[in-house]
Amino acid sequence: MGILELIIVSLIKIIVIAVVMLLTVSYLVYFERKIAAWAQNRIGPNRVGPAGIFQPFADVLKLLLKEDIVPTAANKYMHTLAPMIALFVAFSTFAVLPIGPSFTAFGKVFSFVVADVNIGILYVLALTSVGVYAITFSGWSSGSKYSLLGGIRSSAQMISYEISMGFSVAGVILLAESLRPIAIVNAQSGWMWNIVLQPIGFITFLVSAFAETNRLPFDLPEAEPELVGGYHTEYSSMKFAAFFLSEYANMIISSALIVTLYLGGWQIPYLEMLKLPAGWVVTLQVVAFILKLIFIMFFFIWVRWSIPRFRYDQLMNIGWKVMFPLSLLNLLWVAILAMIL
Amino acid sequence: MPKLIIDGKEIEFNPGQTVIQAAKENGIDIPHFCWHPSLSISGNCRVCLVEIEKMPKLVISCSTPATEGMVVQTQSEKVVAARNAVMEFFLINHPLDCPICDEAGECKLQDYAYQHSVGESRFTEEKNHKEKRVELGPNVMFDGERCISCSRCIRFCDEIAGKKELTFIKRGDRVTITTFPGKKLENPYSINVTDICPVGALTNRDFRFKSRVWEMAPTKTICSGCARGCNIDVWTRNNEILRLTPRFNNDVNSYWMCDNGRLNTFKHINANDRVNGPHIRKEGELIKVGWDEAYAKTLSELKSFAKDEIAVLTSASLTVEDAYLVSKFVRSINVKNFDFVKNIVPGSGDAILIQEDKTTNAKGVELMGVDSSKGGLKFDEIISHIESGRIKAVVLIEQDLIGLNSAFEKALAKLDFLVALATNFDTTTSLANVVFPASTYAEKNGTWINFQGRIQRIRPAVTTIEMERSLDGMSLSRWDKFGTDFDSWGKSQKNDARPTWKIISGLANAFGTKYKFTMAEEIFNEIAHTNPLFSGLDYDVIGERGVQLKTETMQIPPLAGQKKVKI
Amino acid sequence: MAKKNRLKDLSFGQRIYITEILKGLRLTLKNMFLPKFTMQYPEVKFDPPASYRGRPVLAMEENGQERCVACGLCSRVCPALAIEVQAAETENEKERYPVKFEINMLRCIFCGFCEEVCPEEAILMSKDYELAFTNRADAIYGKDKLLTPVSKLQDRINFVRQFK
Repeated sequence: MGILELIIVSLIKIIVIAVVMLLTVSYLVYFERKIAAWAQNRIGPNRVGPAGIFQPFADVLKLLLKEDIVPTAANKYMHTLAPMIALFVAFSTFAVLPIGPSFTAFGKVFSFVVADVNIGILYVLALTSVGVYAITFSGWSSGSKYSLLGGIRSSAQMISYEISMGFSVAGVILLAESLRPIAIVNAQSGWMWNIVLQPIGFITFLVSAFAETNRLPFDLPEAEPELVGGYHTEYSSMKFAAFFLSEYANMIISSALIVTLYLGGWQIPYLEMLKLPAGWVVTLQVVAFILKLIFIMFFFIWVRWSIPRFRYDQLMNIGWKVMFPLSLLNLLWVAILAMIL
Repeated sequence: MPKLIIDGKEIEFNPGQTVIQAAKENGIDIPHFCWHPSLSISGNCRVCLVEIEKMPKLVISCSTPATEGMVVQTQSEKVVAARNAVMEFFLINHPLDCPICDEAGECKLQDYAYQHSVGESRFTEEKNHKEKRVELGPNVMFDGERCISCSRCIRFCDEIAGKKELTFIKRGDRVTITTFPGKKLENPYSINVTDICPVGALTNRDFRFKSRVWEMAPTKTICSGCARGCNIDVWTRNNEILRLTPRFNNDVNSYWMCDNGRLNTFKHINANDRVNGPHIRKEGELIKVGWDEAYAKTLSELKSFAKDEIAVLTSASLTVEDAYLVSKFVRSINVKNFDFVKNIVPGSGDAILIQEDKTTNAKGVELMGVDSSKGGLKFDEIISHIESGRIKAVVLIEQDLIGLNSAFEKALAKLDFLVALATNFDTTTSLANVVFPASTYAEKNGTWINFQGRIQRIRPAVTTIEMERSLDGMSLSRWDKFGTDFDSWGKSQKNDARPTWKIISGLANAFGTKYKFTMAEEIFNEIAHTNPLFSGLDYDVIGERGVQLKTETMQIPPLAGQKKVKI
Repeated sequence: MAKKNRLKDLSFGQRIYITEILKGLRLTLKNMFLPKFTMQYPEVKFDPPASYRGRPVLAMEENGQERCVACGLCSRVCPALAIEVQAAETENEKERYPVKFEINMLRCIFCGFCEEVCPEEAILMSKDYELAFTNRADAIYGKDKLLTPVSKLQDRINFVRQFK
């Protein structure tokens, strides 16, 4: 593959991913509202378009037309920088996550991933850590006590849960013997899904993922009743939209990561026994990935409307006294497992 | 002192006192309708029944003299039952129209019905109907159905006002009050009957249906009607004065005030012709200007006259503080033609309350040195000098000179320059070149010295734009307390006016003399430090009842027609 | 001393939390498939029962006169200071009437104290809940907007009388 070809193919992939991400995020918001309504015996948005399907566009239009307010007490440079970091992190993470297997067309090998990086998992972990800066900066630079408290809470929370997240991922890497996402998926062929092999690791990773995305029951940084929105209290218009967007993009990425690391990625067990043509296999596998992704995203929303928020001390308690030891235990278990297998 | 026991409490009393008086002095409230501390004893309402040991029946405490060793029960079972029975009798024919009645909220019958009645009526028959809306006189309206025939109003006219105008007619349940044939209730103290009426039978026609009593905020101050200085409450709502009522002060006015003071001394305060902001005459018209411009204009004009071409005339109704600062200022700019304007109407006074001197503080103004003692001209000489053209500029402080006597119009018209500190636009301001808006007596703090030499406090009841009710410690109604600027009652008119001392201090500033007073109290404290007559006094010492100044030159005429009552 | 059992003393199953989460998730999932209660508001209007406290109104008799005698009790009892009454004298048998009766709907909290305290059954809570204004002045309802014929309020009057 020539360098020009690589650039063109990568550009196309990036554009497709970016557009799909944006659309998905909009509709994720829409479904968040719909599912919330259903769980509460309501109908949800139903005014804009049939069954309200154009609601996301109305929301975006509204946010675009809002006045961009920067508080007098704010540090204007940082205040503008923060949502940019948030958005950048959210979108660039998806680059290393594979949607489907490699396939051969027009005599060339294509893969369903923008960049097949051999340290992809490390890259994901590194970028999500950068995400903390967005929230901390926005909280500090707003010059408002609500924002500051939200920002501080958020950094404390993310740093705490990153540890158990890292240890859970270590278990996965130990089995796959690679940091490449595609290799990890390939290692889970058949029923060798990591959720089956290391259920404790799955739970610790899931909980950490909730905490990292600031979703309920870990949405302390935003805590509307006490912090009036937390770190983005002082944001309006498109800057607010950027935070909003990155939050939901993070949710998609976390879901994709969970699917990749624990649910076997695009793998469908016993698919090879059907002896389908190669094109069919690839299509089915991509569909399988998307279905798994949708289920996890639904799970995220479902949990949000079922479980109340933790208290701050409970959050720290769970992070350090429960999740951290559990992930260590899981690592031990995987090590033993690796010796047996 | 002899002692008696009421409700197990040993109480000392003065010989000659009745049981109810002894009880009241010691904080035991025995319900009563017809008894009034300042009126003779009638004993017809029967609510004040008490049980006295060794007496076979319950007795009325208002007419039973207290004796040594008497044991009185005011809350025993028998007394409570009797009181209930009496209340039930009153309520048989009393209409249930509290929502309509103006007395509601300060009604004795209403209060006692809550405190001493069972709250259920056993009376199923038609209530008695009597005449309603009877105009007893120009100021008082009578509602026969509400009357409980306590006779307080009749006794007031006979004993205090000294005019036999009211009487009972008919008998039994048809008994009602009326004026004698050919007479009207028109004595100069007639509205006091509405204050002492324990129910809403007698109402003040000027105040009828204007407001519920609980919507207003009362301010303890002094009547501005004459030199008596009756203690009064000013009742305000939405920054507007709605009525005045007398406030008890046995040394000045007892429980009473005259109709003139009650009706005619507050209406100008909320009138439309108030001077709102300083005005300068430009091309024959008074134009509203800023304070600084008005001060500068006054300064530049006055500077163009020789000192003996200028005269300063003040009203004798200034507060002590105003007069002090005016006097200090006039001395500092070396103007000698300085006097105050007397307003004495011979033959207008009486032996009860009303004084011939219609100004409130003539004594105080004199004591503060508002006079020609530094070699200037007296008031009459100033007027003749104006007429002869030797005085060309006059500063007139809170005095409508032409309103006092239209003969002064000719003199004032000759002036080259007239500065007026006025509360309302009047015939005098129509000749003035500069008009400063002065606060009325209801918009400022200060003190007045009445004809007896008694110094008494006036307090603000209405706000100007510079004042704020809660911050200035003024009385607050519920609406004042919780309202905002967006409420309709928060938008009531406030005038841009200042108390005279503040205007003078601004003027002095323009002349280059700085006075560091920020409130009237500070001026009074300076007076108290410098004038031995006022030593030891401050606003707290003067308090609500005032203090008698120890001047040998002042005679203190006793309050005529009054029984000395100790409360 | 034996340890006292408290409500917050959780069993092991509850302490481990996971089963409790699953219970919660099951409940919300079940609710997603239950019938919905949403009323399509502007098309379908809510018809409140007699006990509903909509905006307060003044009862108007058949002859066009208000029942109110401007006693000011509603104004006094109103915890939000929404009501302002100015009385004046009339020739009617009840000598007093409100020359001005204003309810500031921005202040009103629909508590119904005014209705409860009214001695004349003159102020009543209506079923009107559609209140929207574009400025402060519009939110102050005068007598023109408050007076409502008694016939329209019969439902509420019957309800209120049950508790007299």
